[in-house]
Amino acid sequence: MKNALGREIPKTIGSRSVEAYAGAFAKKRSGLKAPQPQKSCVPGENKVLPSLEAAIEATGLKDGMTISFHHSFREGDRVINQVVDACARMGLKDLRLFPTALFGTHAKLVDHIKSGVVSRIEGSMNGPVGAYISQGGKLREPATLRSHGGRWRAIESGDVAIDVAFIAASQADAYGNANGINGRTPCGPITFCMVDAQYAKKAVVVTNELAPYPAYPLEIQQGWVDYVVVVDEVGDPEQIASGTLEMTKSPARLRIARLAADAVVASPYFKDGLSFQGGAGGVSLAATMYLAEAMEKAKIVGGFVMGGGTRIMVEMLHKGLVRTILDGQAFDPIAVASLGVDPAHVIMNPGLYANYDSRGCATYMLDAAFLGATEVDLDFNVNVNTHSDGRLLHGIGGHQDVAAGAKMTVITAPSIRGRLPVILDRVTTVTTPGEVIDVIVTERGLAVNPKRGDLKECFLEAGLPVRDIVELKAEADGLVRPLGKPVFGDEVIAAIEWRDGTVIDVVRKVEGWQ
Amino acid sequence: MPKEIVAGSDAKGDCCVTVTAAKALAVAVATDDPNLFERGIREVVDETLAALAPQGRVKATVSVADKGSLNYVIAARVEAAVRLAFPEIPAIAPKVRRRPSEKDAPRRSRLYAPGNNPRILVGIELHGADCVLVDLEDSVPPAEKPAARVLVKHLLCAIDFPNEVWVRINPLSLGGADDVREVILARPHGVALPKAESKDDVVALSKELAKAEQAVGAPLGSTWIMPIVETAKGVLHAAEIADADPRVAVVAFGAEDFTRDVGARRTLESLLFARSMIVAAAKAAGVQASDTVYADVDDEVGLAAEAKLARDLGFDGKGAIHPGQVPALHAAFTPSEKEMDEARKIVAAAEEAEVQGIGAIAIGGKMVDRPVLERARRALRLADRLSGRLTSPSAGKESR
Repeated sequence: MKNALGREIPKTIGSRSVEAYAGAFAKKRSGLKAPQPQKSCVPGENKVLPSLEAAIEATGLKDGMTISFHHSFREGDRVINQVVDACARMGLKDLRLFPTALFGTHAKLVDHIKSGVVSRIEGSMNGPVGAYISQGGKLREPATLRSHGGRWRAIESGDVAIDVAFIAASQADAYGNANGINGRTPCGPITFCMVDAQYAKKAVVVTNELAPYPAYPLEIQQGWVDYVVVVDEVGDPEQIASGTLEMTKSPARLRIARLAADAVVASPYFKDGLSFQGGAGGVSLAATMYLAEAMEKAKIVGGFVMGGGTRIMVEMLHKGLVRTILDGQAFDPIAVASLGVDPAHVIMNPGLYANYDSRGCATYMLDAAFLGATEVDLDFNVNVNTHSDGRLLHGIGGHQDVAAGAKMTVITAPSIRGRLPVILDRVTTVTTPGEVIDVIVTERGLAVNPKRGDLKECFLEAGLPVRDIVELKAEADGLVRPLGKPVFGDEVIAAIEWRDGTVIDVVRKVEGWQ
Repeated sequence: MPKEIVAGSDAKGDCCVTVTAAKALAVAVATDDPNLFERGIREVVDETLAALAPQGRVKATVSVADKGSLNYVIAARVEAAVRLAFPEIPAIAPKVRRRPSEKDAPRRSRLYAPGNNPRILVGIELHGADCVLVDLEDSVPPAEKPAARVLVKHLLCAIDFPNEVWVRINPLSLGGADDVREVILARPHGVALPKAESKDDVVALSKELAKAEQAVGAPLGSTWIMPIVETAKGVLHAAEIADADPRVAVVAFGAEDFTRDVGARRTLESLLFARSMIVAAAKAAGVQASDTVYADVDDEVGLAAEAKLARDLGFDGKGAIHPGQVPALHAAFTPSEKEMDEARKIVAAAEEAEVQGIGAIAIGGKMVDRPVLERARRALRLADRLSGRLTSPSAGKESR
């Protein structure tokens, strides 16, 4: 069947029956959420177990069950590998992994897939694991990728039932209260798995620092947690800021950032109360910095700025350029430190941030957002999941949630990467539909979604280089030759869910080239 | 041919082309992702080889190692390597569109870019600089010069520059004539002559340009000259240099070489004489003067101060070594609203006086003499030119 974007979607993917994407806000639900497990406790119970093996044993984890994790340590995470290694040592097989995201540091999971310890993955895959499963035939069922908000929704709705949640925490008490703000190796909020802890049949806190009762802030709470395990290492905070968090020095990328910030300045949203999403990536960081400069110059006091929290956002808060930071994950040590001390730097969970099946998302309160793209197309659809060679190399993150919510979603991307043109007739995979994208900024100028004639007027008024997207594409294409095109087979590698649980696109196995 | 010829490098954005003697033509392509890129790269290589030697005179293996290079870079590297291997093969004349520029076009900024570095050259046209100046001299090591001039030619033809385009060639005695013959195929608006020391230097370049223009069928005299004065001798001969030839549109100052030549330390005071000399020489000849580059790209305050000084001295623009410096130069060399108001008043008063047949003009009790009137007219002309143009290179291509 074809979904609303004309993407061919199978009626069933693995064992799930598929509902096709029908529009960014087409889906309405009014039923009941899935039930949470009932648990009880008597005074004096001990939750602390001596090892991961002991905890795995105690939870009753069996072959074929589902285990979940969060990614707040990003490239520095040490828990996922430790837990899956322990499962392997204990002879467990056929596990389904349900992480919020995987990174390069989890490359060794490939061995666990090969040996059958892991047979299914639902979650964002950044790098080697995605590249491996893209070869096809590696998992028992196709993977499912969800946005931050979409994952929360899938748990609450019962689409995914978690057997055991393993929750990395830089500090916890023996009773299960846990956080990522304090301790020797803080990583920032761990609220991604609040919902895991509440819905999982068993929840295990894994920490490297046991604090006296009560450990706070109360991100993960005692009432949800069955066991606490102390290990030597949960993660390396130094590696949180890896890769995407360095300020760019490239003149072309700085130009993109400048134009993106100029676009916000020229928009009707540039006034007191301006609230925006900064995000990671060299260009987004620079755009945030330029926007902060423009706000300072125009004496504008923003409302809230949404993270991943960064040094630049913390500086904006200190300068009084914004009133609040809403932060679901920290992207550098300065943001982590600020979370612990500044009451205006507010910890947010993905339910509050982006849950489609709720009566409010923080992203819906955004005026503007800077987001990246691997590919965009003439319909303004954005792909952040697959490389142009068809391989699944990145997760969704909050891309869909933020784009759907912000009044003005600005995609920043160079028009060419090496010999790869970024603007295509059709993206390889749709992550986020053009319906919720307003502006695409390249170093060659801005393309405005035709439905935003109002913004185009503002940009032209301000003398910004507004271009037709077809013209931008032609200009970049003139510098490179047409690419080889992957020929996709029938095998589905992964389903890309829209934030409401419908399928917006699928990633198929590459069978050949034309 | 020699056993092996190499052009290009394995730096990001470049490609390395190796030509080795063989009995028949063969092409080998290596790239990060052959599935995506190999066919496109082969197309470019084949077209370039066909343009170079239609009769299949190239008896060699042409190996291309791509590091994310654009079409024009591949074409340039193939052409350079093949022509080095087979010197009898003539240069390719790619298609080029170039709108001519006026002699007194705005030149508030001239942005330098090294002529043999594809990665830095990508997008050099996008930063709003009035002039882009691609360098074949100091930034290109001697061994790379032949490949560099071919790359610059292809770049200038492949990109639709919204800027005025200049090439800094080598001194004529050091390969400058070869530079001229190659780059004229790309019809740059002008050629910058480093270490100009006398009228003869400029006249010799003018003659080379005339020959080259004739050879490629370009209108005679269509290429401007920017003598760069950067030696003690050059400074003392600034007047004859500026006045040497009708092609001279702007005289530039090069402080780095000048301080070395005279043994000075670079301070505002130590350069004052040279700067003033160059401004006076240029203005006496009726051409523009452009100040030296500011070398510290991280020092925005220093750049703004030096640009202001140059503007105060009478310069019309200044060099930039990084795109980030361009906005500060434009801020310094664009007439302010106040200056514009005053200029409008002066010109209006002068026109009024002319109608009434009055010789002397006074505004607000102050006499306005001829140089003041000229300066006002120049400011209005510059503003006029700028308003017809775009602060951002691609702006206005789409109208409402």
